[in-house]
Amino acid sequence: MNVANNGKQSKLKRTLNKLLHARELTSIIFLVLMFAVVGIINSNFLSVSNLTLSLNSSVVYTIVAIGIALVIITGEIDVSVGATLGMAASISATMVRDGSPTWLAFSAAILVGALIGLINGIGVSILKVPSIIMTLGVNSIVRGLIYVYTDGKWVENLPFDFKTISQSKLPGTGITLIYFSVIVIAIIVHLFLNRTQRGKYFAAVGDNEGGATLLGIPVNATRLSAYVICGVFSAIGGVLYASRVGFVTPISGNGYEMKVIAACVLGGVSMAGGVGTVIGASIGSLIMASISRVLVFIGLSSDYDNTITGCLLIIIVVFDAVMQRRNAVTARHERLRARTGNVNLGGIK
Amino acid sequence: MKRNIKKLIFRWEFALALILLLEIIVFGRLNPRFLKPRVLFGSINDFVSICIISLFVTFVLITGGMDIQAGSIVGLTSISIGVLWNDFGVNIWVACILGLLIGALSGAFSGFLIAFTDVQPMVVTLGGSFLYSGLAMVVSNLSEVEAYKGISGFPQAFLAITKGRINGIIPFQFLMFVALSFLAYFLLHRTKYGRKIFLCGVNRKAAEYCGIHTRKVVMSTYMLSGMSAALAGIILTSYLGTAKTDLGKELTMPIITAVVLGGTSNLGGKGTILGTALASLVIGILRFGLSMSGVNTQYLDIPVGALLIVSVAIRSVSSNDRLVSFIKHRFKRSYQKT
Amino acid sequence: MVISNPAHSEKPTVSARSIHKSFGSNEVLKGIDIDLYPGEVLALVGGNGAGKSTLMKILMGIYQADSGRLFVDGVETKINKPSIALANGIYLVPQEPMLFPNMSVEENIIIGFNENKAELRNRLKDTIQTLGWELDLKRKALTLSIAEQQLVEILRGLMRKSKLLIFDEPTSSLTFNEVEALFTMINLLRQQGLSIIYITHRLNEVFQIADRVVIMSDGLITLNAPVEEVNHEILVRGLLPTNIEYQENKICSIDINRECKPIFEVNQLTGYGFSNISFKVYLGEILGIAGIVGAGRTELVTSIFGKDDIINGKVILDGEDITGLSTHEVMSKGLSYVPEDRFLNGMFRISSVAENTTASSVDSLGHIALNKKREKEITNYFIDTFRTRVTGCEQEMGSLSGGNQQKVVIGRSITTKPKLLILDEPTRGIDAAARADVYAIINKLRQDGMAILIISSDMEEIVELSDRVLTMYSGQIVAEFNREDVNHDSLMAAAFGIVGGKV
Repeated sequence: MNVANNGKQSKLKRTLNKLLHARELTSIIFLVLMFAVVGIINSNFLSVSNLTLSLNSSVVYTIVAIGIALVIITGEIDVSVGATLGMAASISATMVRDGSPTWLAFSAAILVGALIGLINGIGVSILKVPSIIMTLGVNSIVRGLIYVYTDGKWVENLPFDFKTISQSKLPGTGITLIYFSVIVIAIIVHLFLNRTQRGKYFAAVGDNEGGATLLGIPVNATRLSAYVICGVFSAIGGVLYASRVGFVTPISGNGYEMKVIAACVLGGVSMAGGVGTVIGASIGSLIMASISRVLVFIGLSSDYDNTITGCLLIIIVVFDAVMQRRNAVTARHERLRARTGNVNLGGIK
Repeated sequence: MKRNIKKLIFRWEFALALILLLEIIVFGRLNPRFLKPRVLFGSINDFVSICIISLFVTFVLITGGMDIQAGSIVGLTSISIGVLWNDFGVNIWVACILGLLIGALSGAFSGFLIAFTDVQPMVVTLGGSFLYSGLAMVVSNLSEVEAYKGISGFPQAFLAITKGRINGIIPFQFLMFVALSFLAYFLLHRTKYGRKIFLCGVNRKAAEYCGIHTRKVVMSTYMLSGMSAALAGIILTSYLGTAKTDLGKELTMPIITAVVLGGTSNLGGKGTILGTALASLVIGILRFGLSMSGVNTQYLDIPVGALLIVSVAIRSVSSNDRLVSFIKHRFKRSYQKT
Repeated sequence: MVISNPAHSEKPTVSARSIHKSFGSNEVLKGIDIDLYPGEVLALVGGNGAGKSTLMKILMGIYQADSGRLFVDGVETKINKPSIALANGIYLVPQEPMLFPNMSVEENIIIGFNENKAELRNRLKDTIQTLGWELDLKRKALTLSIAEQQLVEILRGLMRKSKLLIFDEPTSSLTFNEVEALFTMINLLRQQGLSIIYITHRLNEVFQIADRVVIMSDGLITLNAPVEEVNHEILVRGLLPTNIEYQENKICSIDINRECKPIFEVNQLTGYGFSNISFKVYLGEILGIAGIVGAGRTELVTSIFGKDDIINGKVILDGEDITGLSTHEVMSKGLSYVPEDRFLNGMFRISSVAENTTASSVDSLGHIALNKKREKEITNYFIDTFRTRVTGCEQEMGSLSGGNQQKVVIGRSITTKPKLLILDEPTRGIDAAARADVYAIINKLRQDGMAILIISSDMEEIVELSDRVLTMYSGQIVAEFNREDVNHDSLMAAAFGIVGGKV
């Protein structure tokens, strides 16, 4: 009885311990704190309608962040997601404007996203071009192609049906259907990464590429699929963007790559690879999307948006790094100290 | 002697010089006006900031770092100079010096965090790019002039620094670029400091065991790149006659492209100033030549991106033994068949 | 000794026929034929650079042979990537652990299996229990020590239901008990009919565990015989390169004046990994510090070198207190250190020999501009006096052999004109010829009056070089020997904490 009880307790303790040491915790605490402080300054901020609005407005960031998180977890980077998003938005918007059914526009956008992801993936995992360079180049090319495709013009007058996709709410709540779907996607991807053999390959590849190769893990295929998924998710983000905003310009999605990378980092995804979850990336996206709203509620100009984002990013990351290093040093010292035993010194000299 | 020539030909810089020459010939054919010295040299006005900043971002990449904040520092410097001069009545030259100082401080701050906390450089400079572009907005809010208009009406002497030409042909910017290239070359390839930069990039741990203050070295490279961004901000402000917050917005990607195309490894330890200087000219002339040949300026990102990927892919594939031997093998086999 | 199948009535599990492999112009394998039989432990010995690791990497599909054929169960098989090797039941436990630092021990072991998770977990628990190893499955791999990482690597190998299991120097950082447990396990696997290749430098282990011995030398198999047909001497001869005669280079003794002040003195020093360490080194003296891996020797010297905190005690160099100074300061006071891990901490792989040689003394090369002429002079001086084999100052460091790399690194450590030189495992991973050269260099430096501290796990090396020897165990000095009393056995006993017959 006693033993069983102990076992239970230790399991509970372990779960708690795991929770306390999760990297996402810093982000969650931060998010809650931010909402609490702003709520104290301006209680309107904590109204249900505003909270749901915050969630809903983070939807594009979230879906793209999930995609890029996969790439970052494998130890690579993708700075072409903004361009992919813009391209998908342009294509889907043009198609629905010209009368194509929504599903067809959606499929076309996804196909283009997958293609861009495939090109990135081939360049990085097969041609071995460093990922920052490969995706930087693809970013330039796709940006240029958006101009070619749209002839530099805005895509406007989107049909009402298309715009309502992003507006319809989950019955009884203020949360949009698409935000709900994106969260479901996040959970599915999370389970895939943590519960399946193949999913674990992603973190393994990012953690130790040599070790992964030696164990027969398909390193190239894993990276390639990460890029394709990232391209697809960016494309979905593009369609959602077009639907939410209602028009698309040739510079739509510019700078999104930096924002979603920032969201991942805020959510505890390590740029070194191997560490992080898509749930964390989603939380990071929520923080990113909330900052400008927060500024409005505490009566500051949204001009401070970038300043705050930059400070946040730096503070969270530096804090995390300093803590981790301290922990590592302490652990090392403890281990070394444990090794320094008391030896019977009799019989020398 | 023969070996030396062979060595020269196989250098990446030689390939870049060839590409540059080829560009000039092709664009000259397409549009003879392109070859007029005044036009050809004048083209640098369009991309001198990329040239200058990439020279010093090369230092950062050689230490194994990454700098994607330089563009933001350009805008921050520009608007700071404008506000200092316009709203605080500071002499324009003093404002320029303060601008350089701001650039140096911004770079040093990020560099400090990178060197002393071991956070990945990409992440810190990503934060830096948000922070400094945000600060630029904050600074512009101090001014009575509305942000989107930018601050203009600078004194003639300040505007003149970027308008002059030697013999009416070679613009001052070109001379500045050449002078800075020599300075960067000397610093990186001829001084003890430059040697330490390389050693840090090749193996930072070993450099520490050699008693090199790797943290100071790493931090200093970011400071240098920040200063070069500030200088580019001053030149751009003078050339355009307007101080704006977003002057460097689109610079980040071309800068990294120039440095990498120049042969600098993003893993550190490898790279030359000559390569970066040539690569930035290759990119600049490509864009200029295409737009002169009637290509829409919005399309110019496509060939630049393609050039980057293709050149790096070729370099990477040719250094990949397995792939090379595979291709050779294939070649041999098909050769034997015929 | 159990010999399961001396006649080899069974078919070999894996066979290799005339395997050739070159890297550039360097022919590493010159036609290897080998058969691996079920239920047989084959010990593979050979000097560094003999081609053992290359052969294993070819079996594992990490490298491809230039020519030659591989057979698995009698069927010719092309193994061109590790996943194919694994699918054919071949598994390599690498010398350097290759774990996923951010995963738990358990995840590290069971990743890549296509089996039921619960079953796997049970099997893992059983295996660990059989071995009697202590290992917390929930710990993250990055918190493990090297020895613990090695245990995890071995567990990975044991968990795979392999036909051929390759151990590449598995015991280099294990304790006595862990080695014993591993051997028990290997015996068990042998009974189950596995083929096992066991690579080792510890000749005693060969007689303990192997059925058959293969000696590789210079890319060829020079001996392939049942273990009872060989003895220690044959193995030692096999380990030496063919063209080099085994030479006795016991360093000539010189008079050391221990009456005057010591050049270096450590007083009651305590830090992380060592405690209460006191010793003195005199001019022209070589002091050896012996001990097994993990005894705290490297921690002791790296802490003195400014790499970690010192908790208590004093370090005095030539009358000056250098306790707790930074690496840069310690070096400028006249102490140099040649690190244990050359690849990680010692060399700049893609830099030239000249850049490597002057890396510690960059500050003395001119005022602002780099004096390249001076650099060349210094480099050439060391190339000449150390007989370093290079094509010139500009040759890339990574393209040198291990021995020549080590000579460059030692040369660098002297460019700062140190009063005390600390060498940490100075001949690890280099061949016998280079080893003799390094010994000659050390001897010459000492004759020039330098004080030298040598750390080594190689007891022969300690015996050969030292004027005086300290033995460390569990972070403490447990014994001190003078030159006259030093011998291999007493050192070994002390290194394992057995002093005066007591533990």
